Amino acid sequence: MDLYIPIIVLGVLAFGFAGFSVVMGALSGPKRWNKAKLEAYECGIEPTPQPVGGGRFPVKYYLTAMLFIVFDIEIIFLYPWAVAFNRFAGWFGLIEMVLFIATVLVAYAYIWRRGGLEWD
Amino acid sequence: MTTLDVVFVLLGVVAVGAAVLVVTTRQLVHAALWLVVSFGALAGGYLMLTAEFVAWVQVLIYVGAVVVLLLFGIMLTRAPIGRSADLDSGNRWAALAVALATAGVLVTVLVRGFRTAYAPLDVAGQGAAKPLGESVFRIWVLPFEVLSVLLLAALVGAIVLSRREI
Amino acid sequence: MTGSAVLNTVAIGDIQAPHLEYGQLGPMLLVFGVAVLGVLVEALVGRGWRQFIQVPLTFAGLAGAFVWILVLGVKDKPLHVAAEGAVGVDAPTLFLQGTILVLALVSLLLIADRQNGAFTPQASALPGSDAEREGIASGTVQSELYPLMLFAVGGMMLFTAANDLLTMFVALEVMSLPLYIMCGLARRRRLLSQEAAVKYFLLGAFSSAFFLYGTALLYGYAGSVRLSDIATATGNNAGSEPLLLAGIALLSVGLLFKLGAVPFQAWKPDVYQGAPTPVTALMASCTLVAAVGATLRVFYVALENMSWDWRPMMWGVAILTMLVGAIIAITQTDLKRMLAYSSIAHAGFLLTGVIATSQAGLSGTLFYLAAYGFTTIGAFAVITMVRDAGGEAGHLSRWAGLGKRSPVVAGVFAFFLLAFAGIPLTSGFTGKFAVFKAAIDGGATPLVVVGVISSAIAAFFYLRVIVVMFFSEPAADGPAVVTTIPTAAAVALGATVTVVLGVLPQPMLDVAGQAASHLFVR
Repeated sequence: MDLYIPIIVLGVLAFGFAGFSVVMGALSGPKRWNKAKLEAYECGIEPTPQPVGGGRFPVKYYLTAMLFIVFDIEIIFLYPWAVAFNRFAGWFGLIEMVLFIATVLVAYAYIWRRGGLEWD
Repeated sequence: MTTLDVVFVLLGVVAVGAAVLVVTTRQLVHAALWLVVSFGALAGGYLMLTAEFVAWVQVLIYVGAVVVLLLFGIMLTRAPIGRSADLDSGNRWAALAVALATAGVLVTVLVRGFRTAYAPLDVAGQGAAKPLGESVFRIWVLPFEVLSVLLLAALVGAIVLSRREI
Repeated sequence: MTGSAVLNTVAIGDIQAPHLEYGQLGPMLLVFGVAVLGVLVEALVGRGWRQFIQVPLTFAGLAGAFVWILVLGVKDKPLHVAAEGAVGVDAPTLFLQGTILVLALVSLLLIADRQNGAFTPQASALPGSDAEREGIASGTVQSELYPLMLFAVGGMMLFTAANDLLTMFVALEVMSLPLYIMCGLARRRRLLSQEAAVKYFLLGAFSSAFFLYGTALLYGYAGSVRLSDIATATGNNAGSEPLLLAGIALLSVGLLFKLGAVPFQAWKPDVYQGAPTPVTALMASCTLVAAVGATLRVFYVALENMSWDWRPMMWGVAILTMLVGAIIAITQTDLKRMLAYSSIAHAGFLLTGVIATSQAGLSGTLFYLAAYGFTTIGAFAVITMVRDAGGEAGHLSRWAGLGKRSPVVAGVFAFFLLAFAGIPLTSGFTGKFAVFKAAIDGGATPLVVVGVISSAIAAFFYLRVIVVMFFSEPAADGPAVVTTIPTAAAVALGATVTVVLGVLPQPMLDVAGQAASHLFVR
């Protein structure tokens, strides 16, 4: 468990800093409410009005989410592979991982050719 | 009770409490966010049991990706954002009975099965990245490679179901 | 886990490369490889050419894998566990994999038959929208179908071969995921098809969770997910009983769901009806073979010492499956739904062979699977041929008098139905006889009595269809029979095998008997 103490300390510091910033901002900053201040993103560009009752987002967001989850799963396997890498005798570890990534890359090629990466 | 026991029990309470809120809240988005809390507490539990890689998988895949997919699903469908009465099912008492019965059976099985089980918490466990890496890339190489095929099939399916221009 | 053995050493480069028997894994690797190649074709080849490349490619991949299996089977060297114990390539596995491949080849004839128009040109277009009409007008097809089918077939082959529960779970997902998508691709009645896909997906994901939970509990019991280790642990009474029993129960739920056994059958009628008929044919034959194969391996290898514990449960499931399938089928008016319930009843008959847990039970089940697979593909192929303006004429009343207008088609369909009913001189009779005989030898006589009773009930509704086809007057605007070469070939193959296995079953029984002679490897 001693291993985790630096991580826990870092976590406490991070949460502490976040909490401190929010609380201090609320306490010390001036409070002038107007329309721009109440926008979701205070960046100067008017957001597109949302349809009443939520409405639906275009289905291309779904593809983005699917891409994210698949490549997330792919990446997660790189961790144990990297940690164990110097224990592998010979090239087999590298070959296995290249084969794995190449197969998922086929999906990438397919999506790219089908315009799945274009935002129209 | 050591400090570790107390922390572990607290994490468990958070996980179960958040899970109860997932099914009782009237707001769909809140349910998804409570799921994050539940998954996060579960990841903490894995970490306490020295399964650090499993904990990271829990955070990266479940908290990071699955909940994102859930939220996207809420955005893509006409699911109500905000408080809605539809989320209250008429079957809730039956559901409660089923849930309690399932929990009762599983808790009994696990308690009776693992009452005497013991795992040392002061050394790196089997759920750390290194032992997992060593067995995945040697013993489990075939299922691992087939997993890439599964990911490929999933992405092809996603494209088939969503892209207009072919 | 061997991980613990190497944990304490820190030498660099001390993990040796895994030993992979490429020769024995070849058929599976070939199917997966061709599937990946198919995705590359989708990515790199222009729209007009895809179909012309995909069909021969898929055909070559499946046929090549089948030839490979034949070579492996004929060489007859002692086959054993391969790929570090992840799969067991033994005689029953080769038989099951060969059956899956042949049935997939026949299903491919239906899937590749573009003229029957079973598949939507654009899965993403909303039903009834302009985009859908444009897609139909342009005459394109969603040729991703072929790689998806290969993924599913590869997953089925791995599912029957998996020698540990983890590999089995991965294979289960590889097999199921493409099927979920393929179910939603019907051209006609899009909403029904999409509903089928969603239902199948949700229930399938739910059952996968059961399978996984059972795997986890069995791992907790035996300390390993390998089937032979679980068998050893049950032999030594090593772990805690509740874990083992709960693990068996949950694992069985996952397996029985894929089989469509009662009470996990609810998906089958909806999915079989909603899915495009060629895909239904694929599911009714190949998926059933794979599911029964994996069930056989789990119950024959991992749980062989536990048969006193699981047998009462499986008795109940088998009796319910046979009776519920046969009784509910009587009330059906849609032919695809009726065949779905018939498939549920047949899953019950197959379970009697699983319960026998003997060499005869195994060989009888293997024969039954091959025989039933061909008959069911043939029956669904006939359904694709009988069409009216709105696509397939699935309703039973539309088939009235078909025997007077198209005696050959109606006759062949009647023959398939008689084979389902298990009339002598059809393959259905031989299969049922083999399975029931093994069950009686295994001491399951009451089960066989129930089986015979439900066969009699089932015969009632098969005969009803025959009566409707031959003894009622055809309607003026009745459906037309559209014959295309690939579909006719599938029907002919199904009918030929049904006849041959009914009249001259001995060679095939010998092959199944030889395959079962050494049971499964450990």
